[in-house]
Amino acid sequence: MFLHNLKYELLSTLRHPALIFWLMLFPIFLGTVFKIGFGSIYEEDTLFSSIPTAVVETADNSILREVVDAVSGDDSPLLKTTYTDEDTALEMLRSGEVKGIICSGDKVTLTVKNSGIEQSILKSFIEQYGVYETIIKDTLENDPANAQKVIAALSADVKACTEKPVTQGNTDLFVQYFYNLIAMVAIFGSETGLHITKDNQANMSSLGARRNISPTPKSISLSASLVGCFIAQAVCMVICVTFIVFVLKVDLGGDLLLVYASSIVGGCLGVTMGFLIGSIARISADAKDAVSMSVSMAFCFLSGLFISNIKGIIADTVPWVNSINPVAIISDCFYCLNLYNDYTRYSVKMISMAIYIVLFSALGVILTRRKKYASI
Amino acid sequence: MQVFNAFMKIMKKKVVISVMYLWVFAIIGIAIAFSDGGTALFEQNSLRICVFDEDNTPESRALCDFLDKDNELVTLENDRDIILDALYYDRVNYVLTIKKGYAEKLAAGNTDDLFESMKMHDSYSTVYMGQILNEYAGTVSAFIAGGNDVVTSVGKAADVLSQDAEVNTASFGEEDNAVLSGNASLFFRYLPYIILGTVMSTLCPVLLKLGKKDIRFRTNCSGLSPGSYMVQLFAASTVFITAVWLVFMVIGAIINGGMYSGTAWLAVLNSFIYTLFSAAMTVFVVSFEPSNLVLTILTQIFTLSTSFLCGIFIQQEFLGDSVLAAARFMPTYWYVRVNRMLAGEEPFDSSLAVTSLLIETAFAAAFAVLAVLVRRAWYGRASAVTA
Repeated sequence: MFLHNLKYELLSTLRHPALIFWLMLFPIFLGTVFKIGFGSIYEEDTLFSSIPTAVVETADNSILREVVDAVSGDDSPLLKTTYTDEDTALEMLRSGEVKGIICSGDKVTLTVKNSGIEQSILKSFIEQYGVYETIIKDTLENDPANAQKVIAALSADVKACTEKPVTQGNTDLFVQYFYNLIAMVAIFGSETGLHITKDNQANMSSLGARRNISPTPKSISLSASLVGCFIAQAVCMVICVTFIVFVLKVDLGGDLLLVYASSIVGGCLGVTMGFLIGSIARISADAKDAVSMSVSMAFCFLSGLFISNIKGIIADTVPWVNSINPVAIISDCFYCLNLYNDYTRYSVKMISMAIYIVLFSALGVILTRRKKYASI
Repeated sequence: MQVFNAFMKIMKKKVVISVMYLWVFAIIGIAIAFSDGGTALFEQNSLRICVFDEDNTPESRALCDFLDKDNELVTLENDRDIILDALYYDRVNYVLTIKKGYAEKLAAGNTDDLFESMKMHDSYSTVYMGQILNEYAGTVSAFIAGGNDVVTSVGKAADVLSQDAEVNTASFGEEDNAVLSGNASLFFRYLPYIILGTVMSTLCPVLLKLGKKDIRFRTNCSGLSPGSYMVQLFAASTVFITAVWLVFMVIGAIINGGMYSGTAWLAVLNSFIYTLFSAAMTVFVVSFEPSNLVLTILTQIFTLSTSFLCGIFIQQEFLGDSVLAAARFMPTYWYVRVNRMLAGEEPFDSSLAVTSLLIETAFAAAFAVLAVLVRRAWYGRASAVTA
């Protein structure tokens, strides 16, 4: 009986247009939008690249030219310099071609259009030049005997800091939008889960009415519906991850098999959440849809689907929200797989999802039981 | 006024769901307004630095004081996972460890390998801080080479490095033209997503109910002309969406810290025109009498795709040229352009502002006309079928 019900549950679920769209076409559509929108932002705006700078020489300053050439010349230069006249430099600054203008007159000055980290680096560069010039002048005036030593110290190639990467994973900040997209697809499994109660409750649909008067025990029909939804959702999650990884070529980081596993478990979590919402109260199907959609979108928002660093802000202010938000837990799984060297935190997230699945299913069953045709 | 009254009666029955959507989107808007909005990721002058001082000597503490002058020192637990989270979510820009033996090395004139930093990637913050630390170590080393002891050298270095370079700001006549508070401009930036989502989610169920086959057939065989029907429908929709828009404007004013003034009213007008566009588009979409499911799908597609591609979720300056070229064909792009000018993110250009508002209005009018045409075609088809 269970297998018979499961077979028809699967068939009816796979023929459901909501499932086809929400869980198959929507992630493909949104993933493509993400790929188009975020394509090269990380490489172009987050990673460091040489700062385009105009240099205007209003007086002869061979030392500055030497210093500027030195930081513009090697393999990964600090500056990408253009020597030009003042008017052209200002036009370049206005149009955004350069971030700043270094003027070498009696005094070295910097002209910028606005503030930002690139401008701060330029400011620091000319300050460094000014500081070294001041030290040498002071030493030559007050203590000429030590001048050579001071110049040698200032000319030395200082490498005071060793940089240690904190992770070997993919550090592209925009990949988290894809984590949240997968998590959103998973939580939209609640739309599928809602149909379990709709199709099993006599006052929600004609199918529910027919099922209620059939001799099949409710436990069997409900468990077949749940398992059918889990399987359908799992297929959708696999399609979603496969599209993102192999068609859009997004590096999600971490072990791909575990990425698939996490997304499938996340999808089951979404289904059970929908099952619970559907079982909660005797409200209309439209109202249940609205609750499910609103709750899902609110969870997605708090997880960072719309604002990339909101999860960090929440972690600083109300960290327990991230611990209980199902969407944040699902996206955290991918984050942990990508950035962490061990699986401790990933395991915690997986266990949290499993607890949610059991809890939502149990509550759904408790709320659904004893709702016979006559008692609704 | 039968259609108008019927609209209001249906709306009254669906008021609970409408209010729920309204408050979900309002709460999202308020939360966005008081978040950083991701802008800190791209534009910053002062860095958030976490320092682990393993040396803990007067020299290392002097370095901490030096860094504290222009930056914000943040305390974190010395745990790799916590540091990783903080760096990834941009709560900290740089994590520095002053190694044990820092003071001794410095006194010996050795400037190599004094510090260790943890980095996510080669960001501007990493380069900037690397530059500052090298400059500091080089300067202290020069003073020591000049015959000073290490404590004096550290003090002199801090003094000489605190002298600011002469930095001029070229305004090009583009003075700071922000007319909204930071939080309010963020709220108005996200408003198209919120308004479109709210209007489509709340208006559609009512319009769908009115467009139900039985009701439509009864309306068709009544004495009501299609023109009058559409006028009443638009009037009722306008009354409803104006109420929704007013709620958001009140929230915006509270976030702004007071009533809008001067050019800030342009933001209000901009949002009203966008609300009209949202309503016109909703009426147009509903004219095809889609199912609830298709409507939910279309709502999500419109709201999310326009938000990602037109510069709401990701600022326009970070979107590629091809994306922006495509976005120009959506009114949301023009809404965002006006909002960017009012937020001081680009110079205020009154002709561009007027053009943008007119383009948005044209989009609203075009969708309203299309809705009327589709209705006429639909009625015509229905009449032919019933005949």
